[in-house]
Amino acid sequence: MIEVTNLKKEFILSRQQQKELNTKDKTALAVDSISFRCEPGRVFSLLGPNGAGKTTTLRMLSTIFKPTSGSIKIAGIDAIENPQEARKKIGFLTGSTGLYARLTPNELIQYFGDLYGVSKADLKERKERLYHLLDMNEFQNKRIGKLSTGMKQKVSICRTMIHDPEVVVFDEPTSGLDVITAENIITLIRDCKNQGKTVIFSSHIMSEVDLLCDDMAIIHKGKILFEGTMQDFRSNMQADNLTAEFIRIVHASQNA
Amino acid sequence: MIFTIFKKELKDTLRDRRTLMMMLVIPVLIFPIIMNVFVSISASYQKEAATKKIKIGMVGAKNNFLYNELNAIPSSLGAKEIIFYKDTTEMLKDLKNDSLQLASYVRPDFNQYMDSMKPAPIVFYHNATDMGMQERAEAYMKIIEEKAKQERYKKLGIDEIKVQPLVTEYKNIASNKEMIGKLAGGFLPYIFIAFGFIGCMYPAIDLFTGEKERGTIETLLTTPVARWQILFGKMGVVVLSGLTAATAALFGLFMSIEVLDVVDNKEILEIIHSILSVKFILMLYSLLIPLTVFFAGVMIPIAVYAKSFKEAQSIITPLNIVMVLPAMVGFFPGIELNTVTACIPVVNIVLATKELIAGTLEIGLVALSFSVMLTLAVIAVIVSYKRFDKETNVVM
Repeated sequence: MIEVTNLKKEFILSRQQQKELNTKDKTALAVDSISFRCEPGRVFSLLGPNGAGKTTTLRMLSTIFKPTSGSIKIAGIDAIENPQEARKKIGFLTGSTGLYARLTPNELIQYFGDLYGVSKADLKERKERLYHLLDMNEFQNKRIGKLSTGMKQKVSICRTMIHDPEVVVFDEPTSGLDVITAENIITLIRDCKNQGKTVIFSSHIMSEVDLLCDDMAIIHKGKILFEGTMQDFRSNMQADNLTAEFIRIVHASQNA
Repeated sequence: MIFTIFKKELKDTLRDRRTLMMMLVIPVLIFPIIMNVFVSISASYQKEAATKKIKIGMVGAKNNFLYNELNAIPSSLGAKEIIFYKDTTEMLKDLKNDSLQLASYVRPDFNQYMDSMKPAPIVFYHNATDMGMQERAEAYMKIIEEKAKQERYKKLGIDEIKVQPLVTEYKNIASNKEMIGKLAGGFLPYIFIAFGFIGCMYPAIDLFTGEKERGTIETLLTTPVARWQILFGKMGVVVLSGLTAATAALFGLFMSIEVLDVVDNKEILEIIHSILSVKFILMLYSLLIPLTVFFAGVMIPIAVYAKSFKEAQSIITPLNIVMVLPAMVGFFPGIELNTVTACIPVVNIVLATKELIAGTLEIGLVALSFSVMLTLAVIAVIVSYKRFDKETNVVM
């Protein structure tokens, strides 16, 4: 379960950033008092155009960023008060995540297993299961730097799931991937849902959202424009298709 | 957790060829290579200088005093050939284009000066870019002058002892160990500081900026490990790399002395062996560890702040000069460790090491130097932590 209430994030702008953004404002509001709830066994999607505040929100959920105000509860743990405990419950995967190129998949999985405090027996069992599921046995001892993008993605998935997290956060997980490689991620999200995990993923691709999610929120300029089930979204559509409706909502907020 | 991170970062660092080159290969090989080249060039130069037959141009009367005396000097002191010229213009032209190595002018009335026992003028021309030629002329003239002086004493019937009113003797009370320590002792800490800095540089950039650039830091920050633990694990590798590079450089220097026999003098060699005791090495490292932590602590905030490897490198490289320049103070004789210099970072380590080598160390001043470096190292670590804890610096 993820519960987000009145979440706000303001960044202090340096002089350089003020120049780059052509503004005299000393702060930039990336996320503006948003609230939503993600249930276990359901997939929640955070949909928004580039620069909407999706990544900042997910970084706050995974405790990389501290919110300016508001509250976050991850599997019942206050993520602001107790970030280290909250992190134990989270698996985090982004499309842009790099891997340690000089390590092998085995060494990397062992390292993250150790960082999450996974016991030796659990690590062995999960590793065997995930390696089999993702067909990773062949390249487990090759340097990651020498693997293909698809293989690297499998290693990333294995790393995300090695501590069996209750909550899985995906930040644009399929960006830059071909359809075959992206399929691994789609399967992973479905598996997580079937296992009763809470899944939140961000995307700017409506078709991907339609394929996977049960609940969704549309975010633009740090504000939530829509929050509800996918079914609600479909039934209240004013445009011809999902993408057109998404664009309509974003434009309507700009004109408002 | 710190050790888990340390272990992984060390493995990662040891697999990076660039770091490995800067940390081990270059420091180990640089001194054997430099010293080997230096010794061979200097030996071949000395051999050539001793055996080289030089041509000396001369403007003066045939069979003049200088000509006769130069010819009387045995060729075991350096073979020579004297060539007469009609005027100095032609002679100096040949000296300039290296046809001659020395040129001399003896006045036509030179013998009258000698006969009337006046100081007789001789002019020697040399090209200062042709190394050792002035010394060769001075060596010849020392012999000739001494002989001429003896002849004048004889003519005048003077006992040489009577015109030598004082016999002054200068006795050095410093031991050879002290002399080596004070005069050449600055070299050792300089090597350590220079290589310690370079050794820290690449891992600091790779483990902080590199991780940011490759996008791996984000996942590391989502693990249930405190940021200070991540920082300490990484910092440990940076410090170890600095110490390893410095140790490798010292090892290379030691190997040059032991294996390549670059030190001929047995007495100096024995002193070097007596300096390199276990106690000395332990004390040296106790001074150098806080220094390396300080280096790491200065580099890490920059590496955390920088957005790319290139940016980090362009900021840290000039810093190298700022940090290593004070280490050159060690080369100046006369500057010693006192309460003022003990408070100047880097300089205090260099001077304390010099005193340590000379065996004239005052424990109070070492403690002061150590405390200063330790305080700075702690401040540098705090600054590093503050930077690393700043979320906008860590994540791009």
